[in-house]
Order: sequence, then structure tokens, then C-alpha cells
Amino acid sequence: MKNYFYALIVVAFVFGCKSEPKEEKVEELTVYTHRHYESDQALFKLFEKQNDIKLNVVNASADELIQKMKLEGKQSPADVLITVDAGRLYRAKSEGLLQPISNTLIDSIVPANLRDTDKQWVGLTKRARVIAYSKDRVDPNDLSTYEDLTSDKWKNKILVRSSSNIYNQSLLASLISNQGEDFAENWADGLVENMARSPKGNDRDQVKAVANNEGDLAIVNTYYIGKLLNSEDESELKAGNSVGIFFPNQDTSGTHVNVSGIGVAKYAPHKENAIKFIEFLLQEEAQKIFAGSNYEYPINRNVEPAKILKDWGSFKEDALQLNELGENNKDAVIIFDKVGWK
Amino acid sequence: MIVAAVAIPILTVIFKLFDGPGESWTHIVNYVLVDYLVNSFVLSFLCSVFVIVFGVTTAWLVSRFEFPFRKQLEWLLILPLSIPAYIMAYSYAGIFGYSGLFSSAVGLLGIENFSIDFMNIYGLSFVLSISLFPYVYVSSRTFFLAQATNLLEASRMLGITEFKSFFKLILPLARPAIIAGLVLVLMEVLNDYGAASYYGVSTFTTGIFRSWFSLGEPETAIYLSAILLVIVFGLIIFEKWQRRHLKFTSAKSSKQQHNSRIKPTKRKQVIFSLICLLPVFLGFFLPVTQLFFWVSQTFTKVWSMDFIGITLQSFGIAFLTSLMTVLIALLLLFFSKWNKINFLKTTSKLGVMGYAIPGTIIAIGVLIPSIYLDKWLIQQGITSKLVLNATLIALVYAYVVRFLAVAYQPLESSSLKIDRSLSDSSKVLGKGNFRTFFKIEFPLIRAGLLSAFILVFIDILKELPLTLIMKPYNVNTLAVKAFEYASDEMVRSAALPSLLIILTALVPAIFLNKLLLKNANNTHNKKPY
Repeated sequence: MKNYFYALIVVAFVFGCKSEPKEEKVEELTVYTHRHYESDQALFKLFEKQNDIKLNVVNASADELIQKMKLEGKQSPADVLITVDAGRLYRAKSEGLLQPISNTLIDSIVPANLRDTDKQWVGLTKRARVIAYSKDRVDPNDLSTYEDLTSDKWKNKILVRSSSNIYNQSLLASLISNQGEDFAENWADGLVENMARSPKGNDRDQVKAVANNEGDLAIVNTYYIGKLLNSEDESELKAGNSVGIFFPNQDTSGTHVNVSGIGVAKYAPHKENAIKFIEFLLQEEAQKIFAGSNYEYPINRNVEPAKILKDWGSFKEDALQLNELGENNKDAVIIFDKVGWK
Repeated sequence: MIVAAVAIPILTVIFKLFDGPGESWTHIVNYVLVDYLVNSFVLSFLCSVFVIVFGVTTAWLVSRFEFPFRKQLEWLLILPLSIPAYIMAYSYAGIFGYSGLFSSAVGLLGIENFSIDFMNIYGLSFVLSISLFPYVYVSSRTFFLAQATNLLEASRMLGITEFKSFFKLILPLARPAIIAGLVLVLMEVLNDYGAASYYGVSTFTTGIFRSWFSLGEPETAIYLSAILLVIVFGLIIFEKWQRRHLKFTSAKSSKQQHNSRIKPTKRKQVIFSLICLLPVFLGFFLPVTQLFFWVSQTFTKVWSMDFIGITLQSFGIAFLTSLMTVLIALLLLFFSKWNKINFLKTTSKLGVMGYAIPGTIIAIGVLIPSIYLDKWLIQQGITSKLVLNATLIALVYAYVVRFLAVAYQPLESSSLKIDRSLSDSSKVLGKGNFRTFFKIEFPLIRAGLLSAFILVFIDILKELPLTLIMKPYNVNTLAVKAFEYASDEMVRSAALPSLLIILTALVPAIFLNKLLLKNANNTHNKKPY
């Protein structure tokens, strides 16, 4: 027995040590990313194969990566930073960690409100924050806007996750932009009043709670519903099927959208590769992978969203310049704390 | 040197106290701080009670009594530790959630759609306690095995019942050992982020993350962490001060005692087995069943050959690093024992505080000095780019800093009970500090060393935030894989890497435990000098 144990240790060491890189001249690109979806791993492999560029991937939350880039300063190996929301890209830009990229392909593919006004970041995929309603108990004709969610008829009916979640922060930030800070505070206050329970769990849990009659409405991101509807678990499938999707604010400002986006690091050692990488991610082949396996809305108009998303129909998007989400993020969090949205 | 190297990241964080918090500080104080503090306090209290009850009782039973499956239970009781707390949190939410195992089980009894809301502060206390009580179990068992028997013999001869002497004699004597385990539990409870945020409980640490990630003020986050550090440090000093006059030493063990496990009546034996089985069931079998169920749903989608390499890599890294951590903890112990300068003693203690604050904050504490060193090397013209950054060296360094406490606590508590007269006589006989330490004390704390190694190994396997931000590009660990899925709300897919973590943790838990028991037998059967 003991001998097996020692043998195992030796094998483990060999594996642990074999990671020493060889001294070869290879093209490289270092990616700092907050996205850890399976679709991305497929995309990274594809890019490596097509361009003969080796990718070094550092995977952590955007704020940690931003902090790391700040500490590394001029010597930072990071070439690009990928985040799952526009606010964090705005944060990186404000810290002076990104650089402007002039590129006609980017400008032609990405709508102006979904990229930085100073060309320092671009959106890659879109996600919409929508209302999932119980098909049994709610008539979608009763639904209209985010603003309406604070009305008395939804008392103890609304399910939503913690305000630590960036998508809730972005939603409130967009309300601050569209309606002003006082309105936004009243809204958040009213929503807390209408909550069916104290915020907990993730987006999937909110939908499951609707399915199990804890409340009637859940505020969730679209791609989580997509994933529920494709789950290998029967109860998740049931939960996904029990709700309908409503796109709010169609007659007013449009449904809140956020992007997962990318920026080139200020001190990127491989700037050309970085631009190549962004172009790759925006073109149809990559956009199809984003849309197909992760149920995000592609940013490239030539690519259709996944079937499930298409079935929900097209919708009017909020045309807000997404930098504003970053600008108002802190105010949004302060409002959440004030009104006691956990 | 080593002491300094280990203390630097912690000191970096503490010195941030003088930089002050960010601009949202008043807002935090006005609106949320009280909530954070109250929740953290309640959580710590509930967890303390729970882990002491479970940890000490089981440790006492397995080391004092003979009952069916005792040998298996001895190592099974360590295993709950191998399940990352947030995975435990997900499994329990799954078990008690809608159409979970529990609701299905109740459904068999004819009650439909019955579920328990587990996601609150009580559920969180339970989840954290059931995954962390092994710290207390391991440290108090080390004590019971090496120590308590002769005293119990004496008290038994005086006609005091086993149970009475447990409360009158053993509990007070085991205090340093229990506290050592408890300190680790509390540090981990305080630094937990994943489980607390999923269950919607705002603790001090979720506050730290909120001020960083949501308010965008890393300086406020570090400031809050520094406060947390100071509080924990204060508590530990206070506990030490409180027992300053008490002595817990004794190495005058006699020969025959070890095999003196009491064989109670059959009925009691069954009860004891069940008592020990309960935490193993709740902390291991039940969540593992849930994980197996999830793996059965997702295996074909998730499995790839990569997992074999990743598992071996995780094992290798954890093994190497735990070895180093335990060695450094030993050095530190030696240092603080023989150093006459009190100030240095205190500084060396600071090194072990790293465990109390979230790994992400430690990561900053490690990144600052290591990148500073890197930049200095560049300035000196020695290197042209960051050489330490994203290498195994930096990662191992970070692990050592973070888990030093886990190694240090069991070592310290087992060295405390060594009678000072032993080392004193050695010194009178003209042996130096160093020789005394290695010839006399080292063999006596070997049990502590093994326990420390097991704990650190398991902890490194589970470690996440440091690994994410510091790991070399081409290195991957099981914990990272699990997190990738879980953070994408794919808990089911995270079950496979989680199970592999548990399997890997089994290796040292079983082998080293055997060694530990053998060792305990040896030290008892021959006098150590």
C-alpha cells in the first residue's frame, strides 16, 4: 500500500513539474478574463489553431484582474481584459488600464452605444434583463415596465437576487440614467416592499422559486432561462417551462441590456495579436459559438440568436450608452444599501 | 528571514489601515456595518457551539472507547473537510430545495412538494459547521490520543465515572487543543464568501467583497480586512492571556495506557457508533450522495481526459506545498519558543493570521511585495520582465502564507503540552536549543505534524481565490474547474471536479491517519527519552 502511495507522489511531481515552458519563439496573447463559460474555451482553441498564436489565459473576477493589472503596471503581461459587464470595463478605463483602438471592422459591427465613446472597449455579446412570469398565475397583459414592478398588485410577488449581483446594479444604474436618482431610489424602495422573500440564491433559483409558487415574477438574465430550458435535470426543465418571458419597457425606454466586452490593455505586449483576437471574436464564426452554446445575444447582426431566444421574438433594447452603467454603478449600490435591498 | 517573508503580506494588509478607507466608508458605517457585524457574530457563535459539540464528542469517543466501526470512523470523521464549503452549501440547498432528495424522500411518505428553506443564517451555520468541525475533531483527538489517558486512569481509580471526568478533567485540560481547532474554524467562517453570498447572508466578508466589487473601492475592502485581522488577533491574544497561569504540560506517560480503550456495554457501543456516524453522514455521505446524483446527470457532458492530468497536478501542488508549509510552521514554532525578544515573537505570530481574512485580500497582500520584488529585479537589470509573476513559486509562496495557521495551530497545541522540564534538562546537559528541539520536542510533536499535514493538504486542494489569480497559465487545479462551473450557475457540472477533490483528499486522510495511529502507539509503548 505504502509503495503505491510513494509511486503516486512521484507521478504527481512529474506532472507538476512538466509545465516548464520551452524557450521557443511563439506568437502569444495573454487574456485576462472574467468569463468562464465553456463556449469561451472552444473559442480560444479555435483562435489558437487558426492564427498559430498561443493564448495564456488568466481567469478571475474582473475586479481582481483590474487590481492585478494596476499592480503590475507597465510590466503587465495582460494584452486584453474581458468582463461580463460594461461597468467593469468603464472601471478599467477610468483606472487608465486600457488603450483606444481605431478599427473600422469593430465600428461597423458593434452599435455605438455598445462600445466606448473613446474606443477603449467594445461589447462582444448582449444579455437582456427580463421578467420571467408564472404562466399559471400571471397574465402577461398585466406586465408593462420595470417601473411598474413597484405597484401594489405585485406585493410579495417579486423574486430577485442580491444587490451584490452586477446585473441588478446595472439595471438600477440604467434607471438612474433614464429617470434620475430620486426616482431610482423610490423604485428600489418599492421593489424591496414587493419582494416575496429576502434576496438569496442565483438567477436560476429565482425562476425555480416562481415554479414552486414562492412568487409570481422573477427578474433574471435571458441566458439563464436558456440554460434552464436545456438542462439535463428534469426539475430544472420543468421550472424553465413554467415561466414566460416578458421584455419590459417596450413602449418606453426599451429593455435593459448589458454586454460582455473586451478592451486592449494599455501596456499590451502583443497589441497586434490583441486586435486580431477582437476581430476574430466579433466575426460570424465566433459569434455563432457565443450564441449557440451560451444563449447570449450575438452583437453581430448577421448572426442569429439561439432558437430558444429567437422564439421569444425580437425586442426593443434600451439605447443607453453603456458607459453610463459604469458611471452610475456606485450610486446604484449606495441606493441599494439605503433601501435595504440585501 | 522566513518569518519576515511570511509576515510581509499580512503586514502589507495591516499597514493599509493607515491609508484609511475609501470615500464610501461613512456610507458603510451608516447603513450596513452593524448588519455585517451582527450577522458575523451570530454565525461565529452558532458555529462555535456546533463544532465543539460535534468535534470534541466524536474525538473523545473514538479515542477513549471501543465500538463497532471505530477504526473506519476515525478517518471518516476527517472527510467532511474535503468538501469545499460553497459546494457543501450548494448540495444542501439542492437536498432541501424543491424536488430535492429530501422532498422526494418525504414524497414517498405521501407528502407532496414539501421543502425546507435552508438558505438563511441558520442553514449557513449548519453548512459551515458540518464542513469545518473536523478541525476541532483532529486537534482534540491528537490531544486525547497523546495525553489524556494517564489522567483518566487516575481519576478512574478514584472512582470518578468516565463521563464526569470528561467534564471535570478532560474538557478543561483539552482547552488549548480545542481552541486551536476552534480558531481555525472561526477564521474560516469569517473568511467564507461563497456560501454566505449564495445563502443571502451579509457577513463582514461579503461586506469586504461588496465594497471592492460593487462600490469599486479596493482600499475600503482592504481596510475592512485589516480591521478583521486586528479583531481576530486581539481575540487570540486575549485567550492566551486568560490562560497565562495555567499549565497544560505533561509528558510523563506510562507504558500500558494506550490499549486501555474502554469497552462499554453493547447498547452503549451502538449508541457511540451512531453518534460518530451522524456527523459523517451529514457532513460527508449525504452531500456526496447529492454530488453523485449530479455527476450521474452530467458526467458525459463534463468528463474529459484532462481531468486525470488536472487531478495529478492538484495532488502534486498540494503535496509539495503542504510539506513546505508544515516545515515553515515548525521553524516558526521553534523561533517563537526560543526567541527572547517579545516583539519578534508577536510578529512571528502575525504570520499565522493570514487565515482569518479572505484569500482574495491575501492575494493582494502577496501580489504587492512579489511584484515589487519583480520590479526591483528589473531595475537592477537582472531581469527584463516580471519573472515571479504567474509562476509556481509565487503560487506556493501565497499558499504558505495563507495556510500557515492551519499547520501552526495543531503544532503549537501539541508542543504546549510538552513538559518544559524535558527540554530544560536537555539544556542543562549542554545541548543547544536547536538540538533540544529536534531531539526532544520533534519526536513528541510528530502527531501534531501529521495532523497539520493532512489539514493543510486538504485545504490547498480546495483553495480557490489565490489559485485563480496567482496560478501559472498552464496549471489547472480541480478547485478551479469546480468553480468555473459553479460560477456559471452550473452546479451540477461542478459536482464532478468536486468529487475528484474529495477522492484526492482521501489519500492523505487514510494513509497519514494510519501513520498517526501507529505513531501514537509507538510514543506510548516506549518512553520518548
